[in-house]
Amino acid sequence: MIIEVDNLVKKFGDLTAVDGISFSVERGTCVGLLGPNGAGKSSTVRVLQCISPATSGSARVLGIEASLAARQIRARIGVVPQDNDLDGDLSVWDNMTVFARFFDIPRKIARERIEAQLSFMGLADRRKSRIDELSGGMRRRLLIARALINDPMLLILDEPTTGLDPQMRHVIWQQLRGLKGRGLTMVLTTHYMEEAQQLCDSVIIMDKGRILRIGEPLALVKELVGDEVIEVRNHVNAAEIERALGGLEYGMETFGDTVYITHMDVAAVMARVTASQMHAILRRPATLEDVFLKLTGRGLNE
Amino acid sequence: MNNSLASVGYRTYYVWLRNAVSYRRFILPTFIASIGEPLLYLVAIGIGLGSYLGAIDGMPYLTFIAPGLVVSAVMFTSAFECTYSSMVRMTIEKVYNAQLATPVSAEEIVAGEILWGMTRGAVSGIIMLIMLAIFGLAHSPWIAAYPILWIAVGFLFSSLSMVITSFARNFDFFTYYFQLFISPMFFFSGIFFPLDRFPPAVKTISLFLPLTYAVDASRALMQGNMGWQLMIDTLALLIPGFILFVYALHRMKKRIIK
Repeated sequence: MIIEVDNLVKKFGDLTAVDGISFSVERGTCVGLLGPNGAGKSSTVRVLQCISPATSGSARVLGIEASLAARQIRARIGVVPQDNDLDGDLSVWDNMTVFARFFDIPRKIARERIEAQLSFMGLADRRKSRIDELSGGMRRRLLIARALINDPMLLILDEPTTGLDPQMRHVIWQQLRGLKGRGLTMVLTTHYMEEAQQLCDSVIIMDKGRILRIGEPLALVKELVGDEVIEVRNHVNAAEIERALGGLEYGMETFGDTVYITHMDVAAVMARVTASQMHAILRRPATLEDVFLKLTGRGLNE
Repeated sequence: MNNSLASVGYRTYYVWLRNAVSYRRFILPTFIASIGEPLLYLVAIGIGLGSYLGAIDGMPYLTFIAPGLVVSAVMFTSAFECTYSSMVRMTIEKVYNAQLATPVSAEEIVAGEILWGMTRGAVSGIIMLIMLAIFGLAHSPWIAAYPILWIAVGFLFSSLSMVITSFARNFDFFTYYFQLFISPMFFFSGIFFPLDRFPPAVKTISLFLPLTYAVDASRALMQGNMGWQLMIDTLALLIPGFILFVYALHRMKKRIIK
C-alpha cells in the first residue's frame, strides 16, 4: 500500500475539517478525492504531504507514519499544489534547478531529468521564460514537471486543472494518463467529475469531513444512478410525472425546475413522457456528477 | 524549542541559495539604492548639518556619525529583508509553500531567510564602509574586524524582524515596527549625538536598544580603541540575537505549518 489512512481527524480550532476518515491507495493506481468546497479534501492531502499534522488517527505514506518522518516522505513524493507557487523571481530553468537542489539531486542528474521533464510537458523551448510570461496551462504543466523532479513514488495533485480551458484540461489529462501508464501512483482532489471519470481507478466521495462512498467511478454510477438519466424541465411537478409513469419502476429526484428520472427502463419511460406531451426533455448517459449530486445534495450546502 | 534548533540542517543553505539566485536580477537597482542612502546621510547631515555643529567629542561631526551609519545600514537592510521581503515570499509568491513540498524543513526555511537577511545587511554595511573610505573616514586597521560586527547586527535584526513577521497579519503591521521601534532606535542609539548629552532617562532607554551596542563597537573599530567594551558590545548583540533566532524558528513554524 502506498497510502493507508486510518480514522484520520484534522481540526483547526473548533472547526473539524476531517472527521475520522479511513482509506487506502494501492501502488500504481489513481485515486480521486471528490467533494464540494470545504469537504476536507485539501486538509486530507496536506496531512499526506506532511505539512499539516493530524489531530488524531493515523496516515501512513510509503509505509511511514506521516507525522514521524516528514523529510523522508517528502523526499519521495511529488506535489502539484492548487495555487501556483512557482517562483516568479526565477526563470523556468532556474525554477527547476533550485527545486532539484532542495532534493539534493546531483547537478548532472538534475540537468538530465529537467530536460526530460520539460520536453515531456511540452515546455522545452520555454526554459528561459519568466513565470509571468507563461500561460495558465504552461504554468500548470511546469508545476507537474517540477513535482516529478525527484522521480517520486507518489504524485499528489490538488485540483490539477481548476481554472484551465477545456483544451488545456484535456492536454493535462493526457499527460497524467501517460504518467499513470508508467506505473506512477497518483492521488488527486477535484470537483470536476469528468476529471475523476477520465483518470481515476477509484474515487472517494467526501462531504463535511466524512467519506460518503468509495468505489470505481463506473460501478458507482451504475449502482446509484443507473445507465441513463432523463431530465424533465419547466412547469412539471413530481405528481404529474408519477401519474405519467404509473406502473413503471424508476427513481426520481426533484431540484428547482427539473425532475431527474433514474434507474429505469429507458425506452418505456421515454415512450410515456413523450406520450404525455411533456416538453423540455433531455435524455443522457448517467455520469459521476449525478452520483456526486445525489450523495452530497443538489442544493447549496454552505 | 530544542527541537526547532535540531531541525536546522544544511538545507538552510539551499533556502539561502534560492534567494541569492533570485537576487541576481535585482543587484543593480538595490546597489544604486544602497549607495544613494548613505550619500544622503553623509552629505545632508554630515556635511550640511555638521558645518553648523563644529566638533563633537573632539572630532568633526562627519567623523562622529560615520561609524553609526556603517551599522545602521545593516540594521535597516536586515530588518526590511526579514519583514516586507519575507512576507512577500511567504504570502504572495508562496515560496515557502513550494519549499515545504521538499525535504526542506520549516525551520530551515526560516533559518535560510534569516541567513539571507544577514547577507543583505552585510552587503549594505560593505557599501557604506566603501563610501566612508572614499570620504577618507575609514583608515583604522581594525576595520578588518567589521565582518564580525555585521554578522552580529544582521543576526539580531534579521531574527527580531522574523519574529515580527510571525505576528504580522498584513503589511501595515510593519509600519508600526519601523516607525515605533527601528526609526527611534536610529536616533537614540548614539549615532548622531553622544549618549552622555541625553537626559538620564533617555540614556537609560538607550541602554536597552541593541543598536546602541553596535554603534559603540563600530566607533571603537573605526577609531582603533580596542578594549573589553568591544567584547561586551558583541555579546550584547549575539545573546539576544540567539534567543530571538530560536523564538523566530518556533513562531514561524507555527505560522507555516497548520
